[in-house]
Amino acid sequence: MKHAHHHDGEVVIQASDLSVSRGGTIVLDNINLTIRQGDFVALVGPNGSGKTTLVMAILGLLQPTKGTVEILGRDSKKMKFDGQIGWVSQAAANLPKNIRITVRELVTLGVLSTNSLIPFRGKKKDTQRRVDEALQIVGLQDVADVDIYRLSGGQRQRAVIGRALASNPEILVFDEPLVGVDRASRNSLLKLLDELCHKENKTLLMVSHDLPAIRQSAHRVIYLDLVHDNDCCSGGIHYDGPTDQFPDLVGLAALRGIRDVHEEVTPVVINPSPVVVYEGSKEEK
Amino acid sequence: MVFAEISEFLLDIVGPTLETIAPYMPGEITPVVLGMEFFQRALIAAILATIVGGFFGSFLIMRNLALMGDGLAHVSFGGIAVGMVLGGVAPLWYALMFSTLAAVLIHEMQTRELLTGDASIAIFLTGMLALGLVVLSIWDVGITSTVQGYMFGSLLIIDNESLGLIVVISLFALSTLYMFHGSLLATTIDAVSAKVQGLPVRFIGLWFSITTAAVVVSMVQIVGTLLVTALLVTPAATGQLVGRSFKGCMIWTQVFGLASVLLGLYFSNELETGSGSMIALISAIMFAVVLISKTVYEQYIMQPVANR
Repeated sequence: MKHAHHHDGEVVIQASDLSVSRGGTIVLDNINLTIRQGDFVALVGPNGSGKTTLVMAILGLLQPTKGTVEILGRDSKKMKFDGQIGWVSQAAANLPKNIRITVRELVTLGVLSTNSLIPFRGKKKDTQRRVDEALQIVGLQDVADVDIYRLSGGQRQRAVIGRALASNPEILVFDEPLVGVDRASRNSLLKLLDELCHKENKTLLMVSHDLPAIRQSAHRVIYLDLVHDNDCCSGGIHYDGPTDQFPDLVGLAALRGIRDVHEEVTPVVINPSPVVVYEGSKEEK
Repeated sequence: MVFAEISEFLLDIVGPTLETIAPYMPGEITPVVLGMEFFQRALIAAILATIVGGFFGSFLIMRNLALMGDGLAHVSFGGIAVGMVLGGVAPLWYALMFSTLAAVLIHEMQTRELLTGDASIAIFLTGMLALGLVVLSIWDVGITSTVQGYMFGSLLIIDNESLGLIVVISLFALSTLYMFHGSLLATTIDAVSAKVQGLPVRFIGLWFSITTAAVVVSMVQIVGTLLVTALLVTPAATGQLVGRSFKGCMIWTQVFGLASVLLGLYFSNELETGSGSMIALISAIMFAVVLISKTVYEQYIMQPVANR
C-alpha cells in the first residue's frame, strides 16, 4: 500500500519561517515546510505541540505572526476560500447529535461555496453529479438516504470525507480521522485514504496519534514537538522524512534527547506505563 | 401606513373565501368568528408565524439555542412596555427594535466567548422582563388586558398595522431562509468546515440572530411573550422525533405546527380560553403523544435499532 515519497509533484503548501502566536505565547516557531502535490503527509506529536495551530495556519484560519504560508501559490493572508482545500473533521466523534440529516444531504452541503452560496436551479444537475461522484468515491451510494446516526463510526467518517470531496478540492486535511472508528472499518478507511492519494490524485495532510495507521499508509511523517527555551516553549519540527525511516519510540526519545535537554516534556504515549493501584500496607492487605 | 394597507389588501383576498367556508366549520363559535375581520387577521398572522417559526425553531434546536426564542420574547416584552408608555408607533415596533438589538448582542457575546452557552440569554431574558414590569408600574399602566394580551397572546390586539408587519417579517424571513438555508445548515453542523469551504460564517450567524428576533416579535401577539416557545420550538422538536432526514423533519415540523395552531384557535374559540395558552397546550400534548408512541413503537413493535 505504501509508495515511495514523491519528489516530482508541484509545491502546493509552502511554509517559510512560519511563527504563530496564540494569546501572547509563541506556539509555533520558525517552521519551514514544503508539501508537494500527491504527498500523503502525517502530522504527529504530543498534545500541545502545535499540530492544530499548524493546520489552522495552513487552512488560512490563523494568521502567522512571522513568515508566510503559501497554499497553491497564494499567500494565506490573502486566502480565498473556494473549496480547493477540504477539511475533514473528527466526524465519527463530533457531529452534533440533535440534527437529523441523511448522507446525501450532508454531502450536498460540501458543494456550497462563496461562488454558489445561493442554490440556483440551473446548478442543480451539476450539484447532483458532484454529490453522486463523491458518494461513489467514499462508497456510500447504497446508504445515501439513511440518517447518518444510523451508520457506524467508519461510515459516518466516510460521509464527512464525501462532504469535503464534493467541492473537488486539491488538498484534503484530516483531523484524527480514525478516532471513534471500529477495527473493521479502520482498514477500509485507510484503503480509502490510499485511493484518494493515488487514484484521485489528492494531496493529503493528516493529523493523527495513530502510529500503526501512519506507518501503514502515509508517505511522509512530520513530527512536531515542543522546543524549550528558558521558561517558555514553542513547537518545532523534530523529524520530517519518509515514513519507513521514522524512528520508533526509543529512537524518537533519542532524537528528542539530542535536541532537547529538558526531560519533562510529555512523550508520545502508546503503551502507558502500568498504573500503581496498590502500594504499601494498610492493615496488611 | 403601508403596513395597514398590506393587511387590508390581504383581507380583501382571503376574507370572502373564509366567509364562504365559515358556515361549514364545526363548533358553535368558530363559524361565527371566522366571518369577522379580527379573527381573519389573527388566522392569517397565526398561520404565517407558525410556518416561519417552524423553520427557524428547527435551526434553533440544531444550534442548541432552544432557549433563544424564549429569551428574545421576554426582551420584546420590555420593548412593548416601553412602547406603550412612549407611544408614537405601535408597541410591536419597539419590540422589534429591542429584540433585534438583544439578538445581535447575544450573538456577539457568544462568538467572542465573553459568556458561553445560555447565560447571556438568561441575563437578557430576566433583565428586559424586569425593565418592562418596572416601566409599567412607574408610569402607572399596570397589568391591563392589553398588557396581558402581550404576555399570553390575544387575537384582539392584532390590528391592521400589526398584521402588515407580521406579513413583511414573514416574507423577509422565508425568502432569506430560502437563499441561505444550505449555508446555515453547513455552519450549524460544523463551523470550521463551513469557513474553510468559503461560507460567510459570521454573516450567516448574524443574519440568523436578527431574523430570529424578528420572527419572535411576529409571534408575540398570537401566543404571547411567555408562550412563544410553543410555536417556535415545540413543533420542531416533535418533527425531529418523526423525521428521518433534514427535509423530512422540516415537513413534519410544519404539519405539527399548523395542526397545533388550527386546533388551538378552534378550541380557544369553543371553550373561550386564551388563544396562546390553548395553542401552547395543544402543541405540548402533541409532542407528548408522539414521543410516547415513538418509544412504544421502537421498544415493542419494531426491533431495537443499534447506534441510536
